[in-house]
Amino acid sequence: MANYYNIDDILAEEEFVPVVFHKAANGVIIDPSSETNSVEQGAKVELPLWLAQELYLRQAISISVPACFNQRTRLEIQADAACVDLKSRSPYFYEFGCKIAPLVGDKTIEILLLSAFKIRYKEILTKAYTAVFTTSSKFLTLLTKEETNLYEAAQASMAAFKKWRMGGPRLQRASVFGRKRKPFD
Amino acid sequence: MAGQSEPHISLFSAEEVEFMAEDELIEIVPNMRMAPLNFICGDFGPFLPQIPTQVPLWLAVALKKRGRCAIRPPQWMSVENLTRVLEGERESQGSFQFNSMKALILCFFVDGSARDDIPDMYMVRSLIEDIRDVRIHKVETSLEKFSGTSAVKIPNLSAMEVNIIRPFVGRALQAFYKHDNPEKIPDVDRASSQQTRVANNEPRRPLRR
Repeated sequence: MANYYNIDDILAEEEFVPVVFHKAANGVIIDPSSETNSVEQGAKVELPLWLAQELYLRQAISISVPACFNQRTRLEIQADAACVDLKSRSPYFYEFGCKIAPLVGDKTIEILLLSAFKIRYKEILTKAYTAVFTTSSKFLTLLTKEETNLYEAAQASMAAFKKWRMGGPRLQRASVFGRKRKPFD
Repeated sequence: MAGQSEPHISLFSAEEVEFMAEDELIEIVPNMRMAPLNFICGDFGPFLPQIPTQVPLWLAVALKKRGRCAIRPPQWMSVENLTRVLEGERESQGSFQFNSMKALILCFFVDGSARDDIPDMYMVRSLIEDIRDVRIHKVETSLEKFSGTSAVKIPNLSAMEVNIIRPFVGRALQAFYKHDNPEKIPDVDRASSQQTRVANNEPRRPLRR
């Protein structure tokens, strides 16, 4: 949809959403253990977002709010967004939220995302430029993929600067040198 | 998107910023006689013994290496001045006094090639390091302040500092923008595609055989 070749975009659309079928569908195998190759009307199943989106646009299903945006998560985010383990909820929390919000018609998801990001952004900022990698590894497990990218970008640029400041070898030796000549004592 | 996965996270490397900083002019006192040099960036010289002249840093370093000149440290590169700047940086929270990264870069060159020309080299160097640390900390605190996509203004930031924070700030601002304006970004094509899909839901015309 948004970015065809972006791997993160593709993976975000792999997240599962709970849906309810409005129409019976024949010849689909959603659950391999079911007896018939069909889905009845009113069946509740979980589909990946990309499929749910297409079916929703054809008005075959209705989408309900996924588990990672439930009331409990919201309360936790309101309490202290920085400590919530969003990665276990959904590795693409923000991306997924942006995609799901217009489908379920829930305006509060956007507000939730923005408020969560505002608080977590500060946490990432302070950790990224100051903390040593080993101490922050516990913190890293809480971050979603988007936040990890942000964190790593900050770390990489700071590391590059420090490397430059320490001053490595100014001139790099070309790899062709020293290869052909045999060492002699 | 909240965090893109693109390979080139930083537009410039630190070395490239350093390269650009080499165009900074600096005063030298040559000890040889040479005709003016005409470059695309300007004419430098003529070089006469004991007559000070302005040249770019790279040229100064090259001449210094050959023992053809003495580099004169700039006015601000004195211990008193740098101490004053450091005090100023510590006192004024949120604003920046002085373009210290340029100084840092300059310091590197001079440190490598003109150790003998600067009085109190170690003092100058540690002072500049201190200034840099204070400034980086201030950049972080000022970055903490913004929450949302209003314009961000951090004056007097040097190219190297901008280069350090660029990848992070760029992505963070993009994420803020995205979550702030949910309607603006994705739904342009979705609205149109929705209409066509609904139309598609009607019984279709059988394909022509």
